[in-house]
Amino acid sequence: MKDYKILFTGSVCSGKTTAIRSVSDIETLDTDAQASDVTVRRKKNTTIAMDYGVLDLNDDTRVHLYGTPGQERFRFMWDMLTSEFAHDAIGMVLLVDNTRKDPFRDIRFYAKEFGDYLRQRRLIIAVTHSDVEPSPDYNRYLSELKGLGVMTTVMFVDARDPRAILGVIEELISAVEREIDWDKVSDRLLDTNGFSLDFYKPLYEETLLDAAMNKRGVLGAMHLGDAHDVLCSNIDDASVKTLLLNIDRLTGAISDKASFMGAVNNVVLAGPDVDTLSVFNDQNQALCLRSDKAISLPVLKQQASDLLQWSIENDYMA
Amino acid sequence: MNELLGTVDKENIVESSCFLEGKEVTASSFSKANRHYETVARQTFSYIFLNVGKHKSKHNEAHLEIGDKRLSGFLLKANRVLVCLSAKDTNIVDVRAHVQQVQRLMLKAEVDRMLA
Repeated sequence: MKDYKILFTGSVCSGKTTAIRSVSDIETLDTDAQASDVTVRRKKNTTIAMDYGVLDLNDDTRVHLYGTPGQERFRFMWDMLTSEFAHDAIGMVLLVDNTRKDPFRDIRFYAKEFGDYLRQRRLIIAVTHSDVEPSPDYNRYLSELKGLGVMTTVMFVDARDPRAILGVIEELISAVEREIDWDKVSDRLLDTNGFSLDFYKPLYEETLLDAAMNKRGVLGAMHLGDAHDVLCSNIDDASVKTLLLNIDRLTGAISDKASFMGAVNNVVLAGPDVDTLSVFNDQNQALCLRSDKAISLPVLKQQASDLLQWSIENDYMA
Repeated sequence: MNELLGTVDKENIVESSCFLEGKEVTASSFSKANRHYETVARQTFSYIFLNVGKHKSKHNEAHLEIGDKRLSGFLLKANRVLVCLSAKDTNIVDVRAHVQQVQRLMLKAEVDRMLA
């Protein structure tokens, strides 16, 4: 029996669990738990350890499918998967959620995080949710990846469709296995696993402010637009609001005058007996937070960055 | 002042530092190559702490991440700010702890001077 391994990774809600489940011949191992942070905006459950499934390609060939948890705080599992369970994988599939505000930021992030791992194996970028958000399109991906110096295959897939995920697996395995009857595998999977649109039910219920307020330690939030205008806010204290707005304008002025130094990512105000006030900039928007002084800055930064990645005003959100 | 800055700058924590009195730099260890960070810090922290004062807020430190650097401003007295330049990924807790240590040294130096 020849065994191959493939590692699936990608951001929260990119479809890793769904993809593995759609092609697995065994009941997949998934370790979902109720999401406790920003992911509640997108789905109620999130993988906390790993996904695992097995696909038989014929009597002699089998593929083991491993999925990483999406959330960065489970990074230790990424290390465990790349150094132990899937250290000998033939390739990695990076699932990219096309509804993210900046999908290319995810690609840059994961390409960097898994840089060493990818030196020895092939990467395939599988773009999901393009039925919900078609832009960026295939050509844009190719051109952005070229700009990043990443030479790889890009495939637009529906993670719920076993044929689509099998196509990704074929792309990796067919280079080393020429005897597989892929049509036969595809037919078998459709018979056994089927193609159900119910696999994945994203929830687009929470506003950015609600999601922010679900964060531990966040006491108030304000979302600002391109022109430093208040899009929404639940910060009632006029003095705090003015202070945050002034800081946001200041960051705009610095970015304009000192653009050669790089973008102003954030400004944080702290003190021993006061709530922490922070402004996080992201392209054409900013998120201002009033938070408990006990919350550490790295945690706050990660939470804000993740919140802003979901904040695109897509039509489907209307 | 300048000898104090020698204790503020510390490998892997604080690359450069300066003291501000209002908008004026009274002492600085910023190299010529890093002078633009000093300029941004001067304008940023004077503006921020002026606003903090106007709103009678008790915030006494501000951190600004720009590019791959972080500028931290610590309000020492009514009008005096200690500015520290660090790499963006430097643990802010380390910067804060180091500045607190420096503040203790400054206080001790001041007491010694008064007693002398």
